[in-house]
Amino acid sequence: MGEDVRVTEVDTPFLLDLPPGAPPMVLPADAPMTEASVRLGKALFFDPQLSRDGTIACASCHFPDRAFSDTVPVSKGIEGRLGMRNSPPLLNLAWHPAFFRDGGVPTLEQQAIAPIHDTQEMDFNIHFAAERVRDEEPYARLSRLAYGRPLDAFLLTRALATYQRTLVSGWSRYDRFLQGDMDALSEAEQRGLALFNGPDLKCGTCHGGFDLSDHRYHNIGLYTLSPDPGRERISLVVSDHGKFKTPTLRNIALTAPYMHDGTFATLEEVMDHFASGGQAAPNKSPLVAGFTISPEQRLDLIAFLHALTDERPLDQVH
Amino acid sequence: MVRMNSRELLWMGVMLLGLGACRKDVAMPDPIPMPEPIPVPNGTLRLKLVPEWEGQPLALYTEYRNYVDQRVNVELLKMYWGEVRLFNEPYEWALRDVVYFNLGNGPVSVDLVADSGMYSGFRARLGVPASLNAANPASYAASHPLSVNNGTYWTWATGYRFLMIEGRYDLDPQSTAPLIASYALHPGMEPCYLPMEFVPSEGIRIIAGTTTEVIVKVAVDRFFHSPTGNIDLATENAAHGNNLPLAIKLSENAVQSMSVE
Repeated sequence: MGEDVRVTEVDTPFLLDLPPGAPPMVLPADAPMTEASVRLGKALFFDPQLSRDGTIACASCHFPDRAFSDTVPVSKGIEGRLGMRNSPPLLNLAWHPAFFRDGGVPTLEQQAIAPIHDTQEMDFNIHFAAERVRDEEPYARLSRLAYGRPLDAFLLTRALATYQRTLVSGWSRYDRFLQGDMDALSEAEQRGLALFNGPDLKCGTCHGGFDLSDHRYHNIGLYTLSPDPGRERISLVVSDHGKFKTPTLRNIALTAPYMHDGTFATLEEVMDHFASGGQAAPNKSPLVAGFTISPEQRLDLIAFLHALTDERPLDQVH
Repeated sequence: MVRMNSRELLWMGVMLLGLGACRKDVAMPDPIPMPEPIPVPNGTLRLKLVPEWEGQPLALYTEYRNYVDQRVNVELLKMYWGEVRLFNEPYEWALRDVVYFNLGNGPVSVDLVADSGMYSGFRARLGVPASLNAANPASYAASHPLSVNNGTYWTWATGYRFLMIEGRYDLDPQSTAPLIASYALHPGMEPCYLPMEFVPSEGIRIIAGTTTEVIVKVAVDRFFHSPTGNIDLATENAAHGNNLPLAIKLSENAVQSMSVE
């Protein structure tokens, strides 16, 4: 007679690999980062069933090989509907104080609701989305393992947020250079780095820190009068008109087109914008005052920006 | 009958106190129990919101004329009330933190448990209290007033649209063409959280075990014009978090449009 052996699955903490120099990651108490919760979040992230007509997943506008950004100025939702702004890359989100380009939402969990409900994106409902996939695998098993109950709207937002927190960037040649590997950057890239942080360009003033972003809001003179209110839509303060959150420069070579509306197709165009000083918006950041660099310096700067690309995939769930 | 003067009474008291202090083995009498609070029997306050257009029941998709004779209809009408309270000055009795009304299908009622008694009236605010407005809507069950199922959550910002009125219009009063141009006015956010006060002429009597109905008429036509501000659909047809002055004006008009008898 064979012995009836039953194996009970047990969830375990997800061993997230953090790069050197990364700040401590503080997780919400109600969103534990476990093998099951992360895998559940990843499965949801790539599942078009979260959209009303089953055609659009989160990953439809956030491609892994583009640092989880899109390749077009404004992404298309279901039925080809155009969104409002350029899809940002998804990396180092665990350290962001607010989400969306105007910082309208304070947590990743709340952010997860927006694209599912946005009529221009997935045009669905988190309750219906959770109900649609709840009994399917791997959702049923992973949800019970991670949270001890079937998937619902609350858990859906937790799982999606938890997976996105695992998308960590910090393994570029620039990072190796910072850690003492002096051969990690070419001479041109090192000259570009010096320009980047130098007194003439001061790029690092806003694009500093581990995430190469101050996570603050600036009007960089993209328009004299921005058609998009930007941060003003959230703060209701007129002087915030046309201000957007400083984007990270990590993996910037992968995330074209650039700016909140994808108006620049290349890094060269971005460079030209800042060199020109931009448009005369009344609340333009004084740091965007224009500068003059030689063609060689321009190449050095762009070479440095290419060195910000991670040398390993952002996704740690295999 | 023995009579003691005040000095003798004082001595008697001191002696008794002294004896009491020495007799620790004497069981102290049980403290007199505090009287149980007398429960106030509950009744029900039923708030019935009745949307109207110029005194007639509002019907969605029906063509009306606005204050400047433009053709207009209403296709969606929802609102929140926060901090609903009965009052008798200077006191208030909290009834409900937030109430949701979807007025798309005509009158809507909400039943609120209230202590029986006579009240001067009730107060509320148009919108959602800040503490609830900042909460994660995924926490709420599908049937909750703050569920995302109601389609009232901003999603791109934290919080709810306090009032949603949508429809179509035609600026040409002579036209007979179908209404095409659309308006969508969605006040929300803190500056739109305006107070309302309703004082029925005969007050509000809540009787235990019964339901007291108070009818609140919502004059939707007056959303667009009031002594303090008219809304010109030619230029003021969208408030979606990006036009605060218009959002506040509409909120003020909406508050003024609601009345009880």
